[in-house]
Amino acid sequence: MIDYLALAIGHGLLVLGLLRLVLRAELDRDPLLEELDQSARTKRMEATRRRGKAARTASAAENADSKAEAR
Amino acid sequence: MIDLVFLAFIGFILLLGVRRPFLWVLLYVYIDILAPQRIGYGIITSVPVSLIAFMAAFGGWLILDRKAGARFTLRQALLAALLLYCWWTTGHADFPDEAATKWDWVWKALLFAIFLPLTLTTRARLEALALMLVLSVATIVIGTGMKTVLGGGGYENLHFYVNDNSGIYESSTLATVAIALIPLIAWFTRHGTIFRPDWRVTAFAVLLIFACLLVPIGTEARTGLVCIAALGLLLVRYVKRRAVFIAGGAALALAALPFLPPSYYERMATITAPGGDESASTRVAVWQWTLDYAAQNPWGGGFDSYRGNSFTYVMPVETGSGASTAVQYREVTDEARAFHSSFFEVLGEQGYPGLAIWLALHALGLWQMERIRSRWRSKDAQPDEREAWIAPLAVALQLASLIYLVGALFQGIAYQPVMLMLIGLQIGLNSYCKRLDSARAKLAQHTPSAQAAQSPQRGAVTA
Repeated sequence: MIDYLALAIGHGLLVLGLLRLVLRAELDRDPLLEELDQSARTKRMEATRRRGKAARTASAAENADSKAEAR
Repeated sequence: MIDLVFLAFIGFILLLGVRRPFLWVLLYVYIDILAPQRIGYGIITSVPVSLIAFMAAFGGWLILDRKAGARFTLRQALLAALLLYCWWTTGHADFPDEAATKWDWVWKALLFAIFLPLTLTTRARLEALALMLVLSVATIVIGTGMKTVLGGGGYENLHFYVNDNSGIYESSTLATVAIALIPLIAWFTRHGTIFRPDWRVTAFAVLLIFACLLVPIGTEARTGLVCIAALGLLLVRYVKRRAVFIAGGAALALAALPFLPPSYYERMATITAPGGDESASTRVAVWQWTLDYAAQNPWGGGFDSYRGNSFTYVMPVETGSGASTAVQYREVTDEARAFHSSFFEVLGEQGYPGLAIWLALHALGLWQMERIRSRWRSKDAQPDEREAWIAPLAVALQLASLIYLVGALFQGIAYQPVMLMLIGLQIGLNSYCKRLDSARAKLAQHTPSAQAAQSPQRGAVTA
């Protein structure tokens, strides 16, 4: 009788836990890691944009300087 | 009837796994620990449930699962080295038939421990494995605790679901595993997400911990008592109010003494005076024999090499009862005494190379858990919930390892599947933390402040 009761408690909790797990997308995709990866991707794109903008500004300034020197 | 319930439960998990293949990994964990095919006595005994679960777990991971974040680590390499070395010694074993019998389950346990961390790529999976370990062991422990409370205990008298003294159904092994899992059970009362912490979770955890503490009492396993003492000592490091903890522990132990049966006192007395107990008194002799054996066979004698030992010694034997009890000293000859210690088990079976790998595997785990604890320990009053669970889990797994090693001093459980799964869990946690650190480092690389800080350095190097 005790054995059956213990088996019922253990398996009841296992069923409940497994049902909760199967409904969780986090089981396959970790939200924190995905958030960090996404932020890193966004930051990288922003940094690339910033570098491009800075390079364009610098090149424009260089052009202006060389034109002024030519004059 | 019970067979059908087990089969229905296994079928239910197989069905759920179609949506989330990781659940098949948990199914194998459940079957490996509880062994429903050995509890049942009808149709389930003829169904290869363990093989089906392993094929589903491995095949599901290989074909259906995402493998992002799966890493092969140094500890997995050590497990693989141990597996290969065991295979080699089995081929050169002193007792080939017996060695082959042990190899038959050891290679599966080691292979699964190597595979398991590859599947533990998210926090939810780490927690799910911990929960499956706890609840599978709890299913055995709850029954054991209830029988002990209701007076059904006693050395070699307490009946489990399976009574062949093997695997986790050996009293000392069950006591060690039950005590080792106590910190992990406590972890769920603070950081669980499958069963969110509330009064019901706390109440169940308290009762389960009580049942775990009853296992060494119900089975009268001396190793269990040593493990409880070790856990008490180790916990002193982590509790905030040490004086209260020590005083409370001592008061609780004193309060429990009147409820313990006389047979328990008699059995525990043999810890400090092993002369009157055959099992305890031969241990030292076996250990000395193993050291001599390893000196002659440094590469190991293969599984079950202890079968070659033989000892003759004088032991006190009590005859009669009550006032007419007489003690006689008799010569006793013992043959093929088991190692009674995992350290000597590995030394005798796998020699010094195997022992070095086994020790490195555990030492590395303890060090990694310590490093995670200090790296992820939160100093904030209100820590980020998404990371606050990491350091306490590392502590729980470190304590589990230490308790296991204490228990392993006195019993041959070097390849115990539950403990190998805990190693898998430790490896998974370590890899997860490394991935978090790596993701953070990438993020920091692209923040403007980091770039600004790096720019002059880069310029300096270029110049």
